[in-house]
Amino acid sequence: MSEPLACVLVVEDEPQIRRVVRTALEEEGCRVIESGTMTQGLTEASTRKPSLIILDLGLPDGDGVRFVEDVRTWSAVPILILSARSTENDKIDVLDAGADDYLTKPFSLGELLARVRALLRRARISDADASPLVGFGDIEVDLPRRSVTRGGEPLHLTPIEFRLLCALLAGHGKVLTHRHLLREVWGPGYGESNHYLRIYVGHLRQKLERDPAQPRHILTETGVGYRFAM
Amino acid sequence: MNPLLSHDPTIETAGPPVTDWRGQALAFAATCLLALILTPLHDVLDHANTAMLFLLLVALVAFRLGRRAAIVAAFASVALFDFFFIPPRFSFAVSDAQYLVVFAVMLVVALIITRLTAGLQRSAEEAIAREAQMRSLNGLAQALAGALSHQQVAQATRTYLGAGFRATSWLFVAGRGDTVKLVEEGNRVSMLAEHAAAQRVFKQRESMEFDDTTDGDVHCLYLPLSVATHTHGVLAIAIPREHVGSLTGQRPLIEAMASLVATAIERVHLVELAHESQIGMVSERLRSSVLSALSHDVRTPLAALFGLADSLVRAHPPLPPAAQETAGAIRDQAARLDRMVGNLLDMARLQCGAVTLRKEWQPLEEVIGASIKLLGSSLAQHEITVSLPRDLPPLEFDAVLMERVFCNLLENAAKYSPPGAPIGISAHAQPDVVVIEVRNPGAGFAPDRLQRVFELFERGAAESVVPGVGVGLAICRAIVEAHGGGIVAENPAGGGACVRFTLPRGTPPTMETESVAAGTE
Repeated sequence: MSEPLACVLVVEDEPQIRRVVRTALEEEGCRVIESGTMTQGLTEASTRKPSLIILDLGLPDGDGVRFVEDVRTWSAVPILILSARSTENDKIDVLDAGADDYLTKPFSLGELLARVRALLRRARISDADASPLVGFGDIEVDLPRRSVTRGGEPLHLTPIEFRLLCALLAGHGKVLTHRHLLREVWGPGYGESNHYLRIYVGHLRQKLERDPAQPRHILTETGVGYRFAM
Repeated sequence: MNPLLSHDPTIETAGPPVTDWRGQALAFAATCLLALILTPLHDVLDHANTAMLFLLLVALVAFRLGRRAAIVAAFASVALFDFFFIPPRFSFAVSDAQYLVVFAVMLVVALIITRLTAGLQRSAEEAIAREAQMRSLNGLAQALAGALSHQQVAQATRTYLGAGFRATSWLFVAGRGDTVKLVEEGNRVSMLAEHAAAQRVFKQRESMEFDDTTDGDVHCLYLPLSVATHTHGVLAIAIPREHVGSLTGQRPLIEAMASLVATAIERVHLVELAHESQIGMVSERLRSSVLSALSHDVRTPLAALFGLADSLVRAHPPLPPAAQETAGAIRDQAARLDRMVGNLLDMARLQCGAVTLRKEWQPLEEVIGASIKLLGSSLAQHEITVSLPRDLPPLEFDAVLMERVFCNLLENAAKYSPPGAPIGISAHAQPDVVVIEVRNPGAGFAPDRLQRVFELFERGAAESVVPGVGVGLAICRAIVEAHGGGIVAENPAGGGACVRFTLPRGTPPTMETESVAAGTE
């Protein structure tokens, strides 16, 4: 997949982690810009126009939410967050502010590269050339005709289940927070009704996953939201 | 005599220190003296003027000596006026019936003057007494406002009651549970009887009044000290019997005083609470800053170590197999160390109550799936079977913490069972709780340690070669208990080990059901 000149900005204050990330990305064929502070990171982001930003949430000089909001005012560049565990609220805030995905430290480089690839691929495929037919596992979804089949057999989805599936498909490769999905599927009035979302995700899994208890497509990001894997 | 005590409706003359009978005698004497002075002037003064002078005397007596003396003066004046001045003189006989009108008018006027003067004087005295009461209460309020401890409150109250009522007082404040304790001021003799009485008043929240002759002849009054609905203590007042009259009519004043004392005790109590919570806050801040420093400063190098080792494993061109294996081992050890630090930090947070549960209603299935996925490769050697009934109700729990419970239980199950052994997760609903079980076919828990495996730093097998520090199960218990559930370990009859825990079912929120009409085909 290695696009020759994908340029990645790494904003991370720990030099060793920066080095590890840089080596891995360069082996993947990316050009890497490093930044040790958020202020410098913002400057680099605006002057060098990277195709992806990797941002550590634990930087001493700033607030990740402000960084993401700032970048989002002028760019839709994918942003991957690196964060420590047990900071779910920070993750949710920064994802709701516009970040696309997150990884919890310590992370394996394989996982990091998989996320980077997914985000870069997402960014390249514009909405215009999205196919109306989406397939994952043995499931086929025909978006315009609102039909879902498994191995050719039609599956019946309720309107809400179908809207939820569409929202998940539209956000594949990203982390979708509870709040985001509730807004997309139920509308703004349901911002705090997380149990609705959970119950309907459960229904979708029952219908789409081979083993609903160990799903392969609709994945849970505990405490944060969901991720759709093709 | 304290001005406080002068307000007594039974005593009509007050102010100047003249007792009743002496005032009346004095009034009579003054009237006689006036008659004697005026008799030589009989030829000079008109009868009308003489009568006027007598009325003046009555007014003066009423003003100086009070109402009873004035009444004596009024009657004496009419009698003496008749005797000395009205013809026939030196006799009570009256020659002209006209004079009877004069006597009547004189008597009525004298009595009216008496009444008005005495009434005015009484109002003035009452006002003075009221002012003195207010000043005295105000003094108490000031003393109480400055009081920082129960002792100071007791001292101020005692001073006030001692000066105003010659009473002794003790203060009891609410202690542990439904009991009161005496506020000690220096050395006290045993006060068991008083304590029992105070305890009763405190429980019943009603005042109590009785005479006590066991220890001198005293009258006792016990008042509950209440502010709004809360009773902060009891005030015991003992007045020697000879002064008990000073209590009459003073109940409102004493109750006002009791509420002042109650407010003061409440304030002292609130000051103590504020002080305690400030200490709590400081130590809380210290603890959380230590925890967050630890979590950041320990885990950052661990994350770097993990990443560096991982980059060696993935190096291009690949390292020799032995070196690659070593790098992989370093990476895995770093990951384990990180999980261990995570467990210890979680335990510390849970134990000091720094964890706020983010409880939400959700299906159990989801968190189980997330836990299995999170453990990933460390469960690779085991087959995990999840059997949940389809109608299992959603439960209210903190997903992140419950994921921790399942991760720890699954990790344990994997650690203590042979490679390839299946691990089973199952759940079923009971009327009040949902029971969840995690089983593995391993050797089981050491029978004598079944009760203790959930204690911190306790391990299932003492000399086990399996790594771990016994924090995992302790965290599980802390989390399950924080959710209102219970957890037990057992060795089922069929062999292996089983950890079973419960979560309360509660009342799930109602959901609008959607119409199934227009879905997909």
